[in-house]
Amino acid sequence: MSKQKRIAIIVKAFFWILVLAFFYWVVTNNMFSRIIEDPNKFFTLLTQHITIVIVSSFIAVLTSIPLGILLTRPKFRRGEWLVVNIANLGQTIPSLAVLALAMGVLGIGMKAAIVALYVYSLLPILQNTIAGIDSVDSKTKDAARGMGLTPKQILWRVELPNAAFSIIAGVRTALVINIGTAALAYLIGGGGLGVWIFTGIQLFDNTYLMSGAIPVTLLAILVDLGCRVLQFLLVPKGLRLAREAIKS
Amino acid sequence: MIQFQNVSKIYEGDVQAINNVSFNVDNGEVVILIGPSGCGKTTLLRMVNQLESITDGEIRLHGNNVKELNKIEMRRNIGYVIQSNGLFPNMTIEKNVMIVPDLLGWDRKKQRDRFHYLMELIGLHPDDYRTRYPHELSGGQQQRIGVARALAADPPVMLMDEPFGALDPIIRNRLQEEFLQIQREVKKTILFVSHDIDEAVKMGDKITLLRKGEVMQFDRPTEILNHPKNAFVSEFVGQDRVLKSMSLYSIKDLSQAISLKQKVESNDTKTIKEDTSLRIAISILLNQEADQIIVLDDAGNNLGSLTLDLIEQFLHKEVKRTEIK
Amino acid sequence: MELISDLINYFLNNYDILFGFTAEHVQLVGIAIIIAILIGVPVGIYITTNEELAETILQITSIIMTIPSIALFGIMIPILSIINQGIGFLPALIALVLYSQLPIIRNTYTAINDVDPNIRDAAIGIGMTTFQRLRKVEIPNAMPLIMAGIRTATVLNIGIGAIAAFIGSGGLGVLINQGISRSNSTMILAGAIAVSVLAIIADLFLKYVQKRFTPKGLNS
Ligand SMILES: Nc1ncnc2c1ncn2[C@@H]1O[C@H](COP(=O)(O)OP(=O)(O)O)[C@@H](O)[C@H]1O
Ligand SMILES: [Mg+2]
Repeated sequence: MSKQKRIAIIVKAFFWILVLAFFYWVVTNNMFSRIIEDPNKFFTLLTQHITIVIVSSFIAVLTSIPLGILLTRPKFRRGEWLVVNIANLGQTIPSLAVLALAMGVLGIGMKAAIVALYVYSLLPILQNTIAGIDSVDSKTKDAARGMGLTPKQILWRVELPNAAFSIIAGVRTALVINIGTAALAYLIGGGGLGVWIFTGIQLFDNTYLMSGAIPVTLLAILVDLGCRVLQFLLVPKGLRLAREAIKS
Repeated sequence: MIQFQNVSKIYEGDVQAINNVSFNVDNGEVVILIGPSGCGKTTLLRMVNQLESITDGEIRLHGNNVKELNKIEMRRNIGYVIQSNGLFPNMTIEKNVMIVPDLLGWDRKKQRDRFHYLMELIGLHPDDYRTRYPHELSGGQQQRIGVARALAADPPVMLMDEPFGALDPIIRNRLQEEFLQIQREVKKTILFVSHDIDEAVKMGDKITLLRKGEVMQFDRPTEILNHPKNAFVSEFVGQDRVLKSMSLYSIKDLSQAISLKQKVESNDTKTIKEDTSLRIAISILLNQEADQIIVLDDAGNNLGSLTLDLIEQFLHKEVKRTEIK
Repeated sequence: MELISDLINYFLNNYDILFGFTAEHVQLVGIAIIIAILIGVPVGIYITTNEELAETILQITSIIMTIPSIALFGIMIPILSIINQGIGFLPALIALVLYSQLPIIRNTYTAINDVDPNIRDAAIGIGMTTFQRLRKVEIPNAMPLIMAGIRTATVLNIGIGAIAAFIGSGGLGVLINQGISRSNSTMILAGAIAVSVLAIIADLFLKYVQKRFTPKGLNS
C-alpha cells in the first residue's frame, strides 16, 4: 500500500470513528429518549416534516422544469437572461429570510412554510434545467435539425436526456435545502422535527435536541445519497462517459 | 439533382454571404464546394436543407423548389454530415446511426440489418460497436459513424460540411479513400464542403470555387487546375497546380491523346499498368533514372513505352489547349 | 402599503440597532471566513498531491455540507456544553467554519489541478522549487476560482449566521428571533430584508474582488 493511500485511509477511519463515538455517546446518555418514549409524536413530526418537503419540492419540480424548457425555446430566449439572473440573486437570499418573508405576507402555519420552501426550491431546479439544456452542444442540435428531427423530437431525444444529470442535481440540491429549511418551519408554526430542536434549545434539553437534530440530519444525508444513486441510474451511460471525458 | 439558380443570401445586419450563385450537382456526382474561410461554403450548404433561409433565387432538389418542400420530410431524405460529427452522446452507436430510420418507423429487424450493412460499409464491426457510446470512440471512428448515420435511410442526396476537417492527415487520407470506395458503391448526389484543394481534387467530380460568396469557377478538377479562369483561382489552387493535375490523368488518357513510343523489348526496363496516374509515372521515371517504362494493359500486353518527353508533349496539348485556342 | 411605511419607519427609528446587529453579523462571518481560508486553502493545495485523500476529504466535507444548519447547532449544543460553550459565539463560529470547507477546499483543489500542465512544466523547467511554483504560478492562476469558493462560503455563512441567532450568537437573526417571540411582523421583515441585503451586497462585492484577482491576460 502506498503512503498516500495509507494517509487517505487513516483520515477516513478517523472520521468514521468520530461518527461512531458520537453515536455511542448519544445512545449511552439516553439522548434518543424522546423518540423512544413518544414514538407517536416523533412520527407525527416526521410526517409533517416530510409533507412540507415533498409537497413544496413536488410543485417546484412541476413548475420549474417546464419553465426551464420554455425559457430555452428560441421564442423565449430573451427572457432567459433575466430569469437566470433573478434565480442567481434569489439564491443569495438566506432561507431563514425567505421563511420570515413568507410569514410576513401569509401569516403563520404549514401553508406559509410550504409556499416559502416552494419558492426557494424553484430556483436551483430552474437554474439547473436551463444550464443542462444549454450545455447540449449546439453542433449536436444542429445535426439533429439537419437530419429532420422536429423541435419536439430534439427536446425529448436529445436535450432532455442530456440535461437529465443537471436537472436531477438541481432537484437534489432543492430537496436537501428544503429538509434543512423545513426544520425552521417551527418558527412560523409549520411543525416538523424543528419543533423538538427549538424546544431543546429553549429548554437546554439534550434529549429534545438530539431526538430532533439527528433524524433531520440522517434524512438529509439519505435523500442526498438516494438522489445520487438515482442520478447514476437514470442518466444514460453515454453521458457519464461524456462527463468523464470532459473532466480528464 | 441539386440546382442552384441565382442564389443569394444576406444575413441580418447586411452581411452578403452568398451572391448570385448558380451551378448544378448532377445525380450520382460529387461536387466540392471550396474557398477561403468565410467565403460562404457552410451557408450555401445549409441553404439546401433549409437550415438557413434563401434571400433570393432558387434551390431546386430533384426539380422542386426547396422552399416549397416540407422541411422535416426533406431533411430526412438528405444525409447531413458535419465536421464535429454531432453524434448524440446519450445514445448508443446503433441508436445514433438508426435515428432517422427510427423516426421513419422502420421495424426492428430492418433497422438491425441496415445497421449491419452500414457498419460493414464503413469498415467497423457491427457487434463491437452496437452498444458502445460516442465518447468511447476515436475521432476517426466517430466521423465514420457520422457518415454511416447520414447514409442510414439511404437518402439520394448528401450534404457534407468538412467531414474530415478535424482529423489528422493520415486518418483523413484513409477516410477519403474509404469514402470514394463507398461512393462508388452507393452513387449518391453529394455536395461536399472542403477548404483543402488536395481533398477537392481527389474527391470531386466537379469543384465550385467560391470567393466572398461568388462563384469564381465551376469545373472539373483538371480544368480548375490546368485552366484557372482568373488570378484568384490560380493562386488558390497553388503554383504546383499542373503537377497536382498529373494525379488526375492516367497513362491511358495520354495514350489516347498522343500515341506511346514504339514497342521496345528490353529486360531491365520497368513496367507499369496503363491505369496508373501520370504523377506516379513521372515519379518512377525520375527515380529510376530510366529513359522509358513499358506500359502494360490489364491482360499484361505490352502497349509501348512511356518517356518524360511524351508526358511533356501531353501536358502541352492538355494544359495549353485552351490557351492556344 | 401600511406594511411598507411601517418598515421604512422601523429602519429610520432603529438604524443604530440595525447597525449594531449588522456589525455583529459581519464580525461573526468575517472571523469564520478567515479561519476557514486558513484551513481550507492549505488543505485544498495539499490534497492535489494525493488523489485518494482528495476524494476522502471532499466526501467528508460534502457530507458536512448536507447537514441542515439548525440540526448541526442542535447536535453541537450537547457536545460543546461539556466545555460550557453550548450556546453563543463559539458553536456558531465552528459551524460556519465547517460549512465553508466544502466550497473553499473544492475550489482550491480544482483550481490548482486545472492549472495548465504546460505552465507547470515550464515552471519546473526553469528551476522553480515547489514552493516558488505554488506562489508564483499556481496560486495566481488558481486565484479566481479560489475567490469564487470564498464568495460561495461567505454568502452561505451570512444565511447560516442568521439562524445562529437562535443559539445566541447575535447578529441580524436576532431581529427575526425577537420579532417572532413578540409577534412583531415589521421586525421580522426588517430582519429578513437586512440579512438578504447583506448577502446580496457581499455577493456583489466579492464578485468584484474576484474580478480584480483575475490576473490580466487570464480572462475566462
Ligand atoms: N448566422 C450568421 N449571421 C450573420 N453572419 C453570418 C452567420 N453565419 C455566417 N455568417 C457570415 O457569413 C459569411 C460566410 O460564412 P460561412 O458560410 O460560415 O463561411 P465558410 O463556411 O466558407 O467558412 C461569413 O462572413 C460569416 O461571418
Ligand atoms: Mg464553414
